[in-house]
Amino acid sequence: MRRLSLGSALAVIAVLAGCRASSPSKVERNVMRLTKHTVTVRNKSEKNPLPSTAENIAAGKEAFSHYCVACHGMDGQNTGVPFAESMSPPVPSLQSSEIQSYTDGQLKWVIDNGIEPSGMPASKGILSDEEIWSAVLFIRHLPPAGSLGDPPMYSK
Amino acid sequence: MKSGIFAKTILFGCSAACSLAVSASSPAQDTPRKIEISVKKFAYTPAEITVKKGEPVILVLTTEDVAHGLKFKELNLNAKFEKGKSAELAFTPDKIGDFVGHCSVFCGSGHGSMTLTLHVTE
Repeated sequence: MRRLSLGSALAVIAVLAGCRASSPSKVERNVMRLTKHTVTVRNKSEKNPLPSTAENIAAGKEAFSHYCVACHGMDGQNTGVPFAESMSPPVPSLQSSEIQSYTDGQLKWVIDNGIEPSGMPASKGILSDEEIWSAVLFIRHLPPAGSLGDPPMYSK
Repeated sequence: MKSGIFAKTILFGCSAACSLAVSASSPAQDTPRKIEISVKKFAYTPAEITVKKGEPVILVLTTEDVAHGLKFKELNLNAKFEKGKSAELAFTPDKIGDFVGHCSVFCGSGHGSMTLTLHVTE
């Protein structure tokens, strides 16, 4: 009986420790990266129907500014986002190779469906398909880090 | 002779009637058809409208809550309107088909699924 109680206590401690928000190790990051790129994030072959014009990129910047900026910053590189590093996993810079190595179709899929486990929510229905595709174009043409200032909600 | 006068009278009467009909119908054809559309989170009412190709139309958009917009990318049309104000979107459709317009001003969680379908018929 005592052994059972001890086992239960250890199990509870293990679960609670697992719930603690801490930065993932390098191994965990690499495993997750591989899993996302090759298994969980789909839609790899879909092409962006919008041409990469200045007008469409500007439209993407506007769509991105509606609410993506709350976590990704105005520049997509977390500038001015106070909790970006303390999230688990941390909010990635959209300029990083981890993100830029997704295909356009995968980026659209991530914005549509979100990514679990992470703080990335599903945005299908919140933004239209056209807005999401234009946001993908903006992600492919991000401005220099810090060049657009902090998100309005954190700079007021 | 009598029959000639009678024929001329009939002809005059017909042409007068026709010209009256034309003068009465011309302004109606030139006057754009106005369609009232009520807008609120996250819907347009009516959500579908049907117009004829070549028929001038004015969509009168009135928001009941926050700022909204209506954009038909394929038709190169876009209107944005502030809270408490109306906007008019005037156009003459020049191609047949079904076109889906989206809200062009971010208005909240259902913004992306807020659509108005325009059917353009022959």
